Amino acid sequence: MAGKSGRSINNVPESPIKKMLFSWEGILVIVFILVNIFCACFSEFYNLKSLLRQMPVYLAEVFLMLPMAYILVLGEIDISVGSIVCLCATMSCIVCNTGAPFVLVVITALVVGTLCGSVNGFILTRFQELPPMIVTLATQIIFRGIAEIILGSGGSISASNTDGFRLLAGKVGSVPYILFLVVIMAVIFAVILGKSTFGRRVYAIGTNRLTAYYSGIHVQKIRFIIYTVMGTISGLCALFIVSTSYGANTTTGNGFEMDAIAMAVFGGISSTGGKGNLAGGVISAFIIVCLRVGLGQRNVHAQVILLILGLLLIGAVALPNIIGQVKKAMKVKK
Amino acid sequence: MEKKSIVKKITGSREALLAVILILLFAVVSVISPSFLTVKSVTDMLKNNAVTMIMSLGMLCVMLVGGIDISIMSTLALSGMSIGMLLKYEYISNTVVAFAIALAIGTACGLLVGLVISRADVPPIIATMGFMYVFRAMGYLVSNGGEWASAAALGSFKDFATTKILGLSCVIWVIILCYVVFFFFMKWTRTGRKIYAVGSNANAAEVSGINVRNIKLLVYMIMGFLAGLGGAIQVSVYASAMPDMQLGGEMDVIAACVIGGVSMSGGRGTVLGALLGSLILATIAKALPLVGIDPLAQNTIKGVLILVVVVANVVLQRVADRSALKGREM
Repeated sequence: MAGKSGRSINNVPESPIKKMLFSWEGILVIVFILVNIFCACFSEFYNLKSLLRQMPVYLAEVFLMLPMAYILVLGEIDISVGSIVCLCATMSCIVCNTGAPFVLVVITALVVGTLCGSVNGFILTRFQELPPMIVTLATQIIFRGIAEIILGSGGSISASNTDGFRLLAGKVGSVPYILFLVVIMAVIFAVILGKSTFGRRVYAIGTNRLTAYYSGIHVQKIRFIIYTVMGTISGLCALFIVSTSYGANTTTGNGFEMDAIAMAVFGGISSTGGKGNLAGGVISAFIIVCLRVGLGQRNVHAQVILLILGLLLIGAVALPNIIGQVKKAMKVKK
Repeated sequence: MEKKSIVKKITGSREALLAVILILLFAVVSVISPSFLTVKSVTDMLKNNAVTMIMSLGMLCVMLVGGIDISIMSTLALSGMSIGMLLKYEYISNTVVAFAIALAIGTACGLLVGLVISRADVPPIIATMGFMYVFRAMGYLVSNGGEWASAAALGSFKDFATTKILGLSCVIWVIILCYVVFFFFMKWTRTGRKIYAVGSNANAAEVSGINVRNIKLLVYMIMGFLAGLGGAIQVSVYASAMPDMQLGGEMDVIAACVIGGVSMSGGRGTVLGALLGSLILATIAKALPLVGIDPLAQNTIKGVLILVVVVANVVLQRVADRSALKGREM
């Protein structure tokens, strides 16, 4: 069923409370609470205040998860987003260093991102036979390659005028702007995916592209729009990345595509298409953000955090499948 | 039967076309820079790209069954780092033992990946993405939090890359051995043909009595084995082991296969194609500085090349389909 999470532990729940508890989103909420309890026990510095202070670095990646969810629901994948972030960050730093007003910097990042996304979309819709993995692999290398050429032999650039970026990293009270923006964007993306005609069409394409095409959905138009939006959001993400580091280098955004995919898949969005919703994706994104902040406070190395994320990702997809298989085997025995 | 003309044969076969491109590439580069086509330069090129060349064989198998493996370079780092640390702290000193350990670790990693993909039905891209993080982090943990094993620590192990047998470096012999073995394995053994069968149509293969899950497990194990071998070779060629070696290199391996005509959806691709694909990539990387193009542009050119190859493939396929249709209408 479209809209429902791709995974559930128990598929015959009776009461609504039980239904909610056993749905993937219910499990994620429980995991979220457990992760927070764990982090609070693990690190004495872990509280709401420190969480809000350290969140922005990780929150930028949550933006990428939103359109990535659409692409995964289509049954496709985009591994070029990290490179788009790199190119956008580079370009915005360059424009910033020319002394242009900050509005222009924002526009540059968004336009460059949109252009990159539309290149992906153009190639993928023009040559529909091509697997998205290969095309975005090539553009991943190209976009980062262009950034490398622009950055030159030094390989890095720093923004000379950081006022605008400082403004972007500002706060209302102790809540950073980025958190508001993430929540607003998440709600918009979730409503469009879950409630609008456009969203239903995305599910239809993900479930069966040919059927969707024959029932009059402009499959290629929708794919083009989604890949382009993915680019625009990458530009947005790049702005916030620059606002935390005040610069860009050739490794900016490295691995972001994997993090975004991991968040979405852990949130129950199937990578084979047509299943999952953004509620799960957003909860899982916050689980990962909290986990990173909590472990980071006790100087747990980034690699160890990635190890945990990797295991979570594999476990989240493998466990329901294994449980399903065991159940099936038991039924056959009976 | 009418005999096809040579021109048609060349344009019809992917491998022949690639070979022509490779020869043209060689010719152009050696005209511009005569130092390119010397024995030393070519053997250096092969040695530096040994890892990609060997591992594209494993990726060929994985892609033939319609899968993908992006965890390979993490497996390489884990196995390479393990033997690096073992050599550094003098638990082992024998080159053969070091190779055996690297291969064993690689195969074990491949087995784990294969089990998760074939038994728990996790999509390959998701499973290998997870293991990419896991193995890389394990490599980091093995290295005691980022230690390197430098040339001095590796003892006699690094001599493997510099030893010559019959005038050729050991590393090149390993490449040749791998390609010969795989050429026969994929073409003439039962298991090799089964891999093609599963890739062309998994359901048909299942019905005709092939254990699809075991074949899937097998290809990821082969991939892991070759990644382990790659780890040992990487350590000996560069005479150092560090936890972040070949970071992002899996894309090169996939690119080599794609350029070599291996289909992402499975069932199509040959050992010769993988060889030519990885050779073309290696030649371009080596030739760019020689013909006076800034090495900074290397990645962009590589990306454009992949794009051009896959798009050209689609266009050619469309033309072929259309002409086939025309033939039927008449």
